[in-house]
Amino acid sequence: MSSTTEVIAPARRETAARRAPGRRRSAYARRRGRSGLAFVTPFMIVYTLFMVVPLIYAIYQSLYTTKLIGGTTFSGFANYSTVLKSGPFWGGVIRVVIFGGIQIPVMLAIAFFFATTFDLGVAKWGRVFRAIYFVPFAVPIVVSSVMWGFLFDPNYGPFNRLMNSIGFHNFNWLSGNLMVPSIIIIAIWEWTGYNCIILYTALKSVPRDLIEAAILDDTPLWKIILRIKLPLVRPAIIMLIFINTIGAMQLFIEPTILNSYQAGVVTNTYTPVIDIYNTAISNGEYQLGAAMAVVLAFVIIAISVTSLAFRNRRREFG
Amino acid sequence: MSERERAAATVAVPKGRRFPPWPQAGRAQRGLGAEESRRERKRRERLEERDAAIPVELYGLKRGTIPLLTACCVLFAVFTLIPIVWIVINSTKTQANIFQSFGFWFARPFEFFHTFGNLFRDVDGDGTYSHWFYNTVLYSVVAGVGATVLAALGGYGFARFEFRGSRLFFAVIIAGLLVPITLVAVPLYLVYAKVHLINSIWGMIMPSMVTPVGLYLMRTYVELSIPRELLDAARIDGASEVRIFFRVALPLMVPGLMTVLLLSIAGTWNNYILPLIIFSTNNLFPTTVGMGLWLQHAGNSGDTNLFPLLVMGGLITIIPMIALFALLQRYWRGGLLLGSVAN
Repeated sequence: MSSTTEVIAPARRETAARRAPGRRRSAYARRRGRSGLAFVTPFMIVYTLFMVVPLIYAIYQSLYTTKLIGGTTFSGFANYSTVLKSGPFWGGVIRVVIFGGIQIPVMLAIAFFFATTFDLGVAKWGRVFRAIYFVPFAVPIVVSSVMWGFLFDPNYGPFNRLMNSIGFHNFNWLSGNLMVPSIIIIAIWEWTGYNCIILYTALKSVPRDLIEAAILDDTPLWKIILRIKLPLVRPAIIMLIFINTIGAMQLFIEPTILNSYQAGVVTNTYTPVIDIYNTAISNGEYQLGAAMAVVLAFVIIAISVTSLAFRNRRREFG
Repeated sequence: MSERERAAATVAVPKGRRFPPWPQAGRAQRGLGAEESRRERKRRERLEERDAAIPVELYGLKRGTIPLLTACCVLFAVFTLIPIVWIVINSTKTQANIFQSFGFWFARPFEFFHTFGNLFRDVDGDGTYSHWFYNTVLYSVVAGVGATVLAALGGYGFARFEFRGSRLFFAVIIAGLLVPITLVAVPLYLVYAKVHLINSIWGMIMPSMVTPVGLYLMRTYVELSIPRELLDAARIDGASEVRIFFRVALPLMVPGLMTVLLLSIAGTWNNYILPLIIFSTNNLFPTTVGMGLWLQHAGNSGDTNLFPLLVMGGLITIIPMIALFALLQRYWRGGLLLGSVAN
């Protein structure tokens, strides 16, 4: 998952090795090719019908405009220029970028800290903690937002009482200023365990001899962690950054649910996906919503590709 | 080590093996596995883990480091468990007590069974929780099984066959990894409006069967755990491709399949935006959308006693997933990482 190029590379290598240049494919190979095609066909059909076709149809729709008078007409990139010029839409994009920019590094740092602790075995009851940390992954985001909504509730929530009792009166976890930090707390709660388990599994596969050699050389522990283990689990970290970034950009459920606890903070354009939902489904402006979805997809792809390019450069020099 | 050597090593050298990450995959190949009881396995895993770790004394830590780090772990565990404890405790309370009593201790009267009973009735005219729960189970199981079957066939096909267009097809699927699922929901709605799939359970189930991640995991798993030589040997013996898949490959793929099954069931179980968009009939809602609706109405009209139901509904939605992950943890623990080992 870490990158398109890496994913395809093994297959390419294999094909080159197996099919010598200039040699014709035998009837046997062709028959096997047909059975290979038969194996992947069911997936390809469902994938095409429920992923490729909708996306192409959305792009097609985004080029049209429906007016009350005059019906649906081709309007070229009119919807796109509306989206690109829409202040609220980009405001939402910036909000989720800030959200992800804080949440992902903090969460990965916590996850790496605990994964290392478990991997080294330098805390007691590691198995128990690992099991506990993973629990939130099994909780639907709707339910976790509902639970945290109760905890953060401005009138009755226990966290508010806590702040009151230590002298912060009129503290509101869900006010305009604190909404994003509160959602960051929720997201950290939801995803740290999952990230931690993946990092832990990756750390476990670091060759033991390497660490033993480092210990024999009297390398301090922090150096073993940061200079040997961290670089070796970088593929896993890159994959996690990818997954988490794509997830953060689609922030939707948490603000939507929290809106019921504190009205007025989460606007109709709070995040890009909320904006898309309201435009396309609530207001029925499908074409404009489709254009927004396409733009957001490009933003996400651009961020992913940029981080990939950054990483490839790092690898070249490092 | 090339991929093939790695796979061969998996079969021949059980000790010190790293791939596949599931302990019992290698055991199955050695013809073991079934005889071992649950307790024995747990004990063996614990011992293996201890043997694999470098003795802590060698790190030259200062005194007090271990208690300090354990304390950090405890702190984060408390943070993790706060909402869970809260929801368990508050599922026993009346609406007034949910708001007025101390959130982290019980308060009389004990309303757990009363509220639980209400899950089977249409309290506010929005719909019945038990019905939503049935929908959630139906969508998740059908979509999960479907996704696993498709990913198993596809992953095997891509991992062990070369055919015209195989690289292109695979690249297209991998590109799908970058397309956020939430973003597909709106386009799906547009298509469904054309082909009358709005308010159809298949409109929910079919897209949930599309898991590029699942296919990718299966392909990686097949490459790491099923040697080409094994398949070629079966071919030389005259077995048909279908037979090879079912008799030779499939049994070896079980741990990977369990990971994909679990992840796709959980994905559908937790899905919110797709059912929110495509269903307008309350009878078709899964629990997530139903609870979202309750929350909206509970906020608007304070007297309908929906909050205890909401808390109870949340608890009931969580329990099966936690149980499933706990029961099958030896399968998915290694499987989650597969996404990053292919390089």
